[in-house]
Amino acid sequence: MSVTSELERGTGSPDVATGIVDCDVHPLLKQGFASLYPYMPLAWRERFERKRAGQAAAGLIMRFAHPNGFIVREDASPRDGEFAGSDPHFLVSDLLDANDIGICALNSLQTGAMCAVLASADESLIIASAANDYYIEEWLPIDRRLRYAIVVPSQDPNASASEIRRVGKHSQICAVAVPPIAIALGNRYWWPIYEAAQELDLPIFLHVTGAEGIYAGAPMPAGGLPDTYIERYVTLSQAAEANLTSLIMNGIFERFPRLRVLFVEYGFVWPLPAMLRMDRLWRGLRHEVPWVKKSPIEYVAEHVWFTTQPIEEPADPRDLERIVKMIGVDNLCFSTDYPHWDNDMPMQSLRMLAPADRDKIMRQNARNVLRLS
Amino acid sequence: MAIPEREEILVGDAAELVEGKFKIIKQGTLNIGVTRLRDGTIRAVRNRCPHKGAAICKGIIGGTWPPSAPGDLAYDREGEILVCPWHGFEYDLKTGDELYRKVPTRLRFYEVIERERKIYLLVARGAADTQDSDASAA
Ligand code: FES
Repeated sequence: MSVTSELERGTGSPDVATGIVDCDVHPLLKQGFASLYPYMPLAWRERFERKRAGQAAAGLIMRFAHPNGFIVREDASPRDGEFAGSDPHFLVSDLLDANDIGICALNSLQTGAMCAVLASADESLIIASAANDYYIEEWLPIDRRLRYAIVVPSQDPNASASEIRRVGKHSQICAVAVPPIAIALGNRYWWPIYEAAQELDLPIFLHVTGAEGIYAGAPMPAGGLPDTYIERYVTLSQAAEANLTSLIMNGIFERFPRLRVLFVEYGFVWPLPAMLRMDRLWRGLRHEVPWVKKSPIEYVAEHVWFTTQPIEEPADPRDLERIVKMIGVDNLCFSTDYPHWDNDMPMQSLRMLAPADRDKIMRQNARNVLRLS
Repeated sequence: MAIPEREEILVGDAAELVEGKFKIIKQGTLNIGVTRLRDGTIRAVRNRCPHKGAAICKGIIGGTWPPSAPGDLAYDREGEILVCPWHGFEYDLKTGDELYRKVPTRLRFYEVIERERKIYLLVARGAADTQDSDASAA
């Protein structure tokens, strides 16, 4: 059966085992921060309520506000006045059923930003656990196709490791989302998280939280503060490049030989210059980092994956095919980024590729990365 | 099998050749560095890096920090590794291979003979007169 005909038919009940795997879907807390209160100890709930934490959890500063007002698609709202991504039943029919998606990885940026910098370290532990319990209880029982990347309080790696061990065995947990802070991912600071993730066979998700370039403690864009949403968006992959380099040059994949890392929503053109440059420099400078035992390109092939969205669109689509080949057809995983405005939907994506390659990216590769039980 | 005609080029007294340094012999288009390895072997190397053509015999002769566990540092093979002065690629003076590469580039070695305490290079007759065009000895 060809991929195309299967896609265009729209089966209505995509199969967990064979459907498209969407590696980046963003759920929202239905009642905002207040949704987490039932999952918190009373004292913490009272503290957050008293300080009106829900209001402090808001997002972008003016210069980085989306010029059209929202980053979520207005056509993906469940009902008038409800935010896209806040209703799991609607998401299942609007995204999964309609697009032959057999598995989607839920990735809560909202709580990621709180854990990275918006909340204090102590608060972030409570928020991460409450958010994980919220999604595990209120979303995952609804459909087996829904999988969840647990969010960890990245300001405290040991607490993060405990959280991974606390909830990581649930069969619909597919990954560990590590909200980036201003410490490069190859730093020993992160070892407890990698150890726990490897122990539970969970890959690491890296994704911007939205706090980048705004709050102290979040990763900063290189070169100076961008002026606009577009400028910031274009430069967000700088942090991915820095972190990929840091992971490899610090020998993380030698230290944690079963660790898998998925770079989510950074696109997939940026790794190419980084990979080529790492390989070239490694030939002359490897003695500075002798634990990098082989070409960095080989570590990428074995341990690192990239989601496809947002897909760049060169004038000649064959250029993109060439880039896909250079990055590695086996190392790209399809993602929609639903319900955000810059989503890539399956019908339109990567049509220039040979059907077998496209099938790998849409359905197979992610099954080698996510823990799917 | 016919042995190609070869000629000898005098390098100098055997005692002149010491570890850690090349003596450079230039004759016509030939440019060759000759040194003594730790084990006493005389090594003659084309003075041109297989990567981008640097005068590699002006690089460092030293050891290497071989692949090691994260955080550990080992040191090995002192005097047997040649590091290019341009981009720092490491070459094994025993085998000529670029180190740690799945498909290594290679140094070009020349044969030497020792006679009455003098060292001679053995090169194809006329080698010093031929235009040397290839960019890589790999
Ligand atoms: S020229 Fe020798 S390493 Fe580049």
